Amino acid sequence: MRPYEVMYILQPTLSAEEQTALVDRFNDLITSMGGTVEKVDRWERRQLAYEIKRCRDGYYVVVEFQGDPALETEMDRQMKLTEPLLRHMIVRRDEH
Amino acid sequence: MTTGEGSPRPARDRGERGERGGRGGFRRSRPKVCQFCVDKVQSLDYKQLDRLTPMITERGKIKSRGQTGTCARHQRWVAAAIKRARHMALLPFVNR
Repeated sequence: MRPYEVMYILQPTLSAEEQTALVDRFNDLITSMGGTVEKVDRWERRQLAYEIKRCRDGYYVVVEFQGDPALETEMDRQMKLTEPLLRHMIVRRDEH
Repeated sequence: MTTGEGSPRPARDRGERGERGGRGGFRRSRPKVCQFCVDKVQSLDYKQLDRLTPMITERGKIKSRGQTGTCARHQRWVAAAIKRARHMALLPFVNR
């Protein structure tokens, strides 16, 4: 198990319920693959530094979790396939 | 050749105030201490925008060490963090 942190940006057009559904989906993925969610930080709607998919702002979500490298790969794959997700990045938390 | 008082050009001095270096290039007097060392920064995260925004120019470029006085070690951290922050649209790639 390794400590990871994922940050992703949700499309601003999503309703509060749709956002929660997506966040829950990814958190469920973590637990289903033997990982543990340690902290979920949902930022308020924030302006993007540049346009992504014609969006000027978005909802940022930061999740700290523990998991195996296989989970990281699977999460990255699924996030790439999720349309209302503007951007995501998974980083190791134990680097410097 | 010496430069007299009433010389038309105000002398190509040898760095009286350290403003001009050799070969006609401008050398800014720079802060001599690394702000990150002063604050004893042990880790730098891409989410620490309060630390990163002073390190980029109006245009969005990463400021050089000469401009900020940052030490080599911390400059590497800064560069890496800014690049991550750019990916997540927290900082701009270009500011027009």
